[in-house]
Amino acid sequence: MSTLDRAGQVGDTGSPIVPDATAARPTPRPRPQASRPRGRTGRVVVGALLVLFTIAFVYPFVWLVSASLKPRSDVFDNRLIPETLTFDNYIEVWNAAPMAAWLLNTAFVTVMATITVTMSSALVAWGFARYRFRGRNLLFGLVLASMMIPGAATMIPTYLIWDSLGMVGTLTPLWAGNVFGTAFYIFLLRQFFLGLPTELFDAAEMDGAGHWRVFWHIALPLTRPALVVVALFEFQAAWTDLMRGLIYLRDREDFTVPRGLKSMLDQFGFGGEWHWELVVTASVITTVPMIVVFFLGQKQIIQGVASTGTKG
Amino acid sequence: MSVAAPARRRSSGRVALLFISPWLIGFAVFMAYPVLYTVYLSLTDYDVINDPTFVGLDNYRELMGDEKVVLAMRNTFVYTAMAVPAQLAISLALALLLQRAGRAAGFFRTAFFLPKMTPPVAVGVLLLLLLNGQSGLVNEFLAWFGIDGPNWTTDAAWVKPGLVLMSLWTVGSSVIILLAALQEVPEELLDAARVDGAGWWKRLWHVVLPIISPAIYFIVVVDTIASLQSFTEAYTAFFGAGNTTYSNDAALFYAIYLFQQAFEFLHMGYASALAMLLFLVVMLVTALQVLLSRRLVHYTGDRA
Amino acid sequence: MRLSQMAVAALAACLLAGCAQGTGDSEETTDVSFDSSAELSGEVEVMGFGAGDEIATVRLDRAEEALGADVDVTLVEGDLDIQQFLSSVASGEPPALVYAERSQIGTFASRGAVVPLTDCIEGEGIDTSVFRESALGEVTFDDEVYGIPEFNVVQLTQANADLLEQSGHTIEDVNGSDWDAVLAANQDLMKVEGNNLTTIGYDSKLPEFLPLWAKANGADLISEDGRTAQLDDPAVVEALEFAVSVYDAQGGFGEVKALRDSADFFGDGNQFASGTLGAMPMEQWYVSVLNDVSPDAPMAFDTVRDLQGEPLAWASGSAWAIPKGSPNPEAACRMARVMTETDSWIAAAEERVRLREESGGLFTGILTANEEADEAVREMAPTDGDSVWSEAVAAMYEANEHTFAMPANPAGDEFEQAWQDEVNKVLNGDKEPAEALADAQATAQEALDEAWASWDEK
Repeated sequence: MSTLDRAGQVGDTGSPIVPDATAARPTPRPRPQASRPRGRTGRVVVGALLVLFTIAFVYPFVWLVSASLKPRSDVFDNRLIPETLTFDNYIEVWNAAPMAAWLLNTAFVTVMATITVTMSSALVAWGFARYRFRGRNLLFGLVLASMMIPGAATMIPTYLIWDSLGMVGTLTPLWAGNVFGTAFYIFLLRQFFLGLPTELFDAAEMDGAGHWRVFWHIALPLTRPALVVVALFEFQAAWTDLMRGLIYLRDREDFTVPRGLKSMLDQFGFGGEWHWELVVTASVITTVPMIVVFFLGQKQIIQGVASTGTKG
Repeated sequence: MSVAAPARRRSSGRVALLFISPWLIGFAVFMAYPVLYTVYLSLTDYDVINDPTFVGLDNYRELMGDEKVVLAMRNTFVYTAMAVPAQLAISLALALLLQRAGRAAGFFRTAFFLPKMTPPVAVGVLLLLLLNGQSGLVNEFLAWFGIDGPNWTTDAAWVKPGLVLMSLWTVGSSVIILLAALQEVPEELLDAARVDGAGWWKRLWHVVLPIISPAIYFIVVVDTIASLQSFTEAYTAFFGAGNTTYSNDAALFYAIYLFQQAFEFLHMGYASALAMLLFLVVMLVTALQVLLSRRLVHYTGDRA
Repeated sequence: MRLSQMAVAALAACLLAGCAQGTGDSEETTDVSFDSSAELSGEVEVMGFGAGDEIATVRLDRAEEALGADVDVTLVEGDLDIQQFLSSVASGEPPALVYAERSQIGTFASRGAVVPLTDCIEGEGIDTSVFRESALGEVTFDDEVYGIPEFNVVQLTQANADLLEQSGHTIEDVNGSDWDAVLAANQDLMKVEGNNLTTIGYDSKLPEFLPLWAKANGADLISEDGRTAQLDDPAVVEALEFAVSVYDAQGGFGEVKALRDSADFFGDGNQFASGTLGAMPMEQWYVSVLNDVSPDAPMAFDTVRDLQGEPLAWASGSAWAIPKGSPNPEAACRMARVMTETDSWIAAAEERVRLREESGGLFTGILTANEEADEAVREMAPTDGDSVWSEAVAAMYEANEHTFAMPANPAGDEFEQAWQDEVNKVLNGDKEPAEALADAQATAQEALDEAWASWDEK
């Protein structure tokens, strides 16, 4: 379930960790042959269960898409194939809500959040991984400890800070906090940096490369796989975030898609004007970009998640 | 040559500070200061429109007698106590199945993970529709087996089980983590157990689970913290501007109550006290889990 | 060291910047002068008002005309989001004008989020004598008016005539004049298949309509001066027990709500058209909706009645108010004037009559807080026709003459929240009515005391 704040969301969004270079540049793992079911019946049972669960997990998507293609009166009929197939809802939803503006706003927030958090977290992680200095362990301990602080504990003053800067009602508070990096990403990128061979950087420095050059031209390119994982996870977190939208956005035109979807549910759902076909269609529009991202970055996402539990 | 490098690294504290400065600033401005400031605000009466007035411990006193705090706490704990074990059981079952899926594992893994990508708001919408007592898909499915499904979204007794059921849809990442852990279980150990005549269940219980216990522990910790702060799905489905008169007490989670107090009623002082309480509870639960893990989690090798 | 220095620096910076100060008293609007003949300019952002139908757009057009070409009116669509409004005031960027429930105005006023309109009313020449006394009273505090009342909302008994006939009942059995008759009719009207409710017999519309049921039983939820909650009055408890028993007889509120939720409330699949609801008290605007989307639904109407058989309705409604720090109070005031003046209502009603004739529908009247306008509009609505819809119109005007309103109080919102929360607990089966209302009484009284205390300080 989602949480108050992304900071508290540690493994919730599937917390990526790529703790060492080998995990991110995977070598094919030998297939665990021996653990396959031995008997024929065993295999049939396993197969049947897998198929049943797959249906259970995928069917809600199918239901949602199918419902979005039904006219208003049929939305609740639970038919797989719409009795009357219509694309009107997709046109209607554009008239009923500033969907284009919402999508643009969300895209902007998501891109800014992703770029800033990836870059700043990499910078900080590099500082912790490459250099030894007084108080390093203490500071890194603080990084780890700050992951434990529930978002609720900082939510109100954070709002007041943005308020005093006159930023409430703008999209800025939805991403600008990311320019300072996020503890969790710092942690995982540091793990990755530590897995890189130090000799490489020492040699470059011997050749007269400055600190920045070593980071930017040598370390960062080698870190690409881990950066991709961080970027993918932040992309998902930023795209789906509702709470910040609720706190900071006022005008309908400024909404992000999740905030907009919530407002449509309030307006058109139960106790509202009962236009479920629009709510359902807006839900599809909100979800589809995530599905696309998943299929584009599937390998990295799954590997990122997989390494969380075992090596974290 | 090899002597010079560490020397140089040692002297570069200033550079390191430059690199970590974004986080230092961020920590000071968006972590340390807000936490301290929340403590201060919790001692005031503040509605943003008028200046804060210092009220001492009044907010905490009010909090003790606030029936809704008790309700929200109870809801949150009940939900967590149901959701965490249920999520663990389902994701373990799915991971064990996936391990046996052979060549098709990739396909099934994708299917199980996909729902995790659904924005929580959309999950909230789906909850209202799929679990609708009258015409929802879930009850229609139950009716095939002659089961008369409950009113998941309107019957107070079934609202939390409904939320738990819906949360099972998004266990994808736990499945992936457990699957990765399962693949680390040494074949030799399982073979040895087999030779000793241990059946599937016994092998699972005595060999596999102890070995993957760090992964299980990780999932329990993360899911617990997430459940204690659960907000979006329940808020989407049961609260918000259009829903005020129907808001369902059974779905009032602590994070929702806190959000309402802070940003709907602008009771910033009181909400800050609520935030401090949540902070405390999360810390306590985490500490408890760390203590328990010392006894129950089995770490192999040289892990710290 | 560095870290702590930084934290201190940040803390100091934020304190200097005024992180936690009130923004309410920083904006002063003293040099505002309201004058109905002044030329105005600038923007008017309106929060909470939607231009959904001709009643809104016709008046809006008139308002824009009166404001002149130099004023731009923009609407923040959707129902008023209290959070959105209060935080916009808090951050010093409120809309010019806000449209809210009259019961909310007191809460806003006591928070200092809206300003008194005395100068506005005087300067723009708003004729407050045409407003219904109860409506104006709801937004008046310490003899100062904080809102210009707009619509009026009353309830009617709305029922499915076919279902009534089939079960051998008449509209008199469900108009509330005899609670035992309502319960009996509920039993006969409801339909159950297996364990599932398939037709709601009677829907007492809790939690919203508790004030109506209490009043029907002779009790008020709050004293006339708006200072004392009376939620634990035995007559209120009795009313709640009755309204809840209607649900209990049908398998509980959850069962009723699940069925209610699955109907297309604003479409042709509504509960009356689909025959899944026997009767309920409901606001008068729903008549217009029904007439529009399912003109052939077998309807029967009456007023809601108290236990003496007298017509009864709880009047509530909306109002315009000017937020503290409004960037354009002069234009906001003029807009509020034009939206609520008699001629605007008449023009809007005429347009609706025209549109309804065009589509073959019926004009079912509109109710406003402006008595003068209501009288003029009433002439246009058919109250003597033979169709059931004209019965509805007649019932609506009859109800409108027998209303009660919630007394003005500075904690309107919190008060409502207090009793609705507790009624929800009863509906959820967590509490008994008497216990719930006793708890609601305590919470509500505390909110009232607090709000009045800060009010009396001012």
